[in-house]
Amino acid sequence: MLTSDLLQYSLKDGQVRPKLLKITLKNIELAREIIEIFEQHVGLTRRDLSEALQTLEGESTDYRTKRGLAHLLSTEHSTFDPITPLEPIQLRERVFLHAAKMGPIDTHSQQTLTDLAMLLGQELGLVLTPEQIREGLYADLPERHYLTSFEAPVPEDLLDRFNTAQAQGIFYRAYDLKLTAFRNSQAEYKYLFKFLKLFGLMTYIEGDQDTGFTITVDGPTSLFSASTRYGLSMAKLLPALLHVSKWNLTASLKPRSLDLMSGDETLSYTLDSQCGLRSHYKKGQIFDSALEESFAGKWAKAKTEWVLEKEVDLLPIPGSVMIPDFRITHPNGKSYVLEVIGYWRPEYLRRKFQQLRKVDCDNMIIAVSDRLNLGDAGVDMKDLPVKVVFFKGSLQPKAVLELLEV
Amino acid sequence: MARVPTLTFDRGTLILHPPPKGKDWVQFVQWDERIEKFRLPAHQYRAFLEAMRQEGTEIRDDARKFQDLSLNLPEIQPFSHQQDALNAWKQAGRRGVVILPTGSGKTILAYLAMHITPRSTLICVPTLDLMHQWYAGLLRTFPETQVGLLGGGSKDEAPILVSTYDSAAINAERLGSQFALHIYDECHHLPTDFYQVIADYSIAPYRLGLTATLERSDGRHELLQNIIGPTVFKRTPEQLSGGVLAPFKEVQIKVTLSPDERQEYDRLIEERNGFLRDQGIGLGSLEGWQRFVKQSARSKAGRAAMLAHRSAREIAFGTSGKLRVLSDLLTRHLGERTVIFTDDNATVYKISEQFLIPAITHQTPVKERHATLERFRTGDYPVIVTSRVLNEGVDVPEASIGVVLSGTSTQREYIQRLGRILRRKEGKEAILYEVISEGTSEERVSDRRRGVEPNKPPEEPRKPPTPVKGLEQGTLDLNTPISWEDL
Repeated sequence: MLTSDLLQYSLKDGQVRPKLLKITLKNIELAREIIEIFEQHVGLTRRDLSEALQTLEGESTDYRTKRGLAHLLSTEHSTFDPITPLEPIQLRERVFLHAAKMGPIDTHSQQTLTDLAMLLGQELGLVLTPEQIREGLYADLPERHYLTSFEAPVPEDLLDRFNTAQAQGIFYRAYDLKLTAFRNSQAEYKYLFKFLKLFGLMTYIEGDQDTGFTITVDGPTSLFSASTRYGLSMAKLLPALLHVSKWNLTASLKPRSLDLMSGDETLSYTLDSQCGLRSHYKKGQIFDSALEESFAGKWAKAKTEWVLEKEVDLLPIPGSVMIPDFRITHPNGKSYVLEVIGYWRPEYLRRKFQQLRKVDCDNMIIAVSDRLNLGDAGVDMKDLPVKVVFFKGSLQPKAVLELLEV
Repeated sequence: MARVPTLTFDRGTLILHPPPKGKDWVQFVQWDERIEKFRLPAHQYRAFLEAMRQEGTEIRDDARKFQDLSLNLPEIQPFSHQQDALNAWKQAGRRGVVILPTGSGKTILAYLAMHITPRSTLICVPTLDLMHQWYAGLLRTFPETQVGLLGGGSKDEAPILVSTYDSAAINAERLGSQFALHIYDECHHLPTDFYQVIADYSIAPYRLGLTATLERSDGRHELLQNIIGPTVFKRTPEQLSGGVLAPFKEVQIKVTLSPDERQEYDRLIEERNGFLRDQGIGLGSLEGWQRFVKQSARSKAGRAAMLAHRSAREIAFGTSGKLRVLSDLLTRHLGERTVIFTDDNATVYKISEQFLIPAITHQTPVKERHATLERFRTGDYPVIVTSRVLNEGVDVPEASIGVVLSGTSTQREYIQRLGRILRRKEGKEAILYEVISEGTSEERVSDRRRGVEPNKPPEEPRKPPTPVKGLEQGTLDLNTPISWEDL
């Protein structure tokens, strides 16, 4: 990701637009040029690399672009390490103690270094020059580290990464994120909610399948005051969201002092699934388990008007959300949601059924593997507001179809 | 059967469920639709429980994760101002800010506060140096109790935890329920958007803020009233001088740029000013600055002007003339404990490499800075050079010479730098040298730092910095800057 000082955006009517690089020959050439500078500096210091990059920057005004590309290369594709024959901390102690005895004045420095080159050379069995001592003194400073390895990306991928990073950067000062998600597959939703949970974000969900779900994303303390504290988590969420098919979002942003000169008190950023940004996160599995996959396969062969869809309804429950496995729709518009429970532990089942009681959903079907002894799991089957179908081995479409009412 | 209303901690907030009877609780909470429960900010913990107790409403407290400690009385005879400050803080319900000059024993006051409030304690400090100083002191003072560090590579869990503001803010959601007493060292750091969560996300019912200078240029110190408590005790350097602080004198040295540097400096400034004139930008205000920064990213001329500005600044701050002065000062004070301050790391390393003097910057590994300070203490290293990291509160005992080579324009920083050499020692006379370049923008910076109004003509006698009364003035007249040749 990019640091705040490398972000570029424009403001118009309270809307923030990140500066994106088109995949043009010119930009590909620029990316290639910077990648080549890194390749040429493998085995040299970060300071040498910075100087070369600075020369490339020159007095041009797009220095932020060049610096941004270089930043991504050095943080995500490079390894820097200190390389020195003399351990710097010990070397410094030797040098400074010796210098202190001589009187720490610059006119004495050369003599001190010459003495120590001799002394250390004898101790280590090396021929050392005073210059080597002076250079080794701060070999451990990051700017004096060596670029020991570099994995060059193709220029187009670097431009893609740059664009996503620019968009991510906008979220750093977001205090509220409203996502509208339309018919998306269960796996995509699960993937998204996995990341929401991972980054400690909270959600409030409204709406339905037809109008789209509005998912408000923020954190625990957002209830009391708007906080940009969760902005970084939202930024990290974006690449996960880019793997979801149909959505749009609006983030509310706290303006920076420079932005206030535009006269806008509040800023927002909008983005949708057509934005063309590409994710560098790995995509999740389409199916959670083989059990569900085989059921979908069988359904495709079954003779029925009912259509099995992977695009599902989100079922909000307090503090969380349920994402059923399937949605089953009839051409006449009637629909059910189906949740398949195959592998389980008693604790998991108890929680699951507790959730189900809280779900306000009258067209839900739960398919439970017959191998489960619900009584032993301490689960009360009474008063469940949903239809339940038990199955042995694998779930058959027929068992589910019998429960459906047109 | 109705369950007892229970308070639990959730990442910087409290959840109250199920709702109690009565009515006072309503004013503390908000309905959180996301979890369909009532929530309140963590820092309301004490006020809420006090109100419930008053009303006779039973609340089960599952939020607090702090523990009772048994802390022995520190083997220190406190000064009267420390005892008075402790009493005032206790009287105020163990919440509030104590303002004492640097070097007057704020740490000892903190030990005393911990002794009378023996619960899990979090101590927040602005720098790694201070962190290790507190750590060493706490280990000595409370040898029976586990003391841990958070920040600078350490991630301990302990009932007494010393943390940097940065690490405490990053971990605020997790730390919020663990401590009953918060001690904020140099507490003027706390009221920023980033750091304030340390206090806001915490249930800590007891809070002590310590500082030498409460004021912030952005005025946000007013917020401390709410997040820590009122100012319960205040003593100025004047009130304590003679008793606690050592006298010092101050010498300002102006250096002239070499003819080459002068020429280059003038050329760069002219290049910058030419651009500013064309654009009608004045640098007198923050807004002017912001416009300059904005323009520098928009046009080639603006970018060049910004680069010129930076180069000019580098010449003024890092001039070779200053290093010549430094060389002479070190010769003059050979064998005396000396600290050199500069504003930027590049100059620190330049001096360290040229003079072979140990450096301390924020990049210095924690163990090495510890060892370096220790060697400075014992006298093995008579001189150290440092950037801003040693500005505040770090014990650098017995330093008798300070050299400020460059700086930025806040009064607070200046006072605290002075504080570094105001150490009480028998027969000690401290000298603070300020070396600035003549005829550069730095003169103005220095004035601002010393609290001189920028619009006053420079001929007018300068106000000496805060400590006036009771402080012995040097043989050199404070009000007339001397030039390098006069020394």
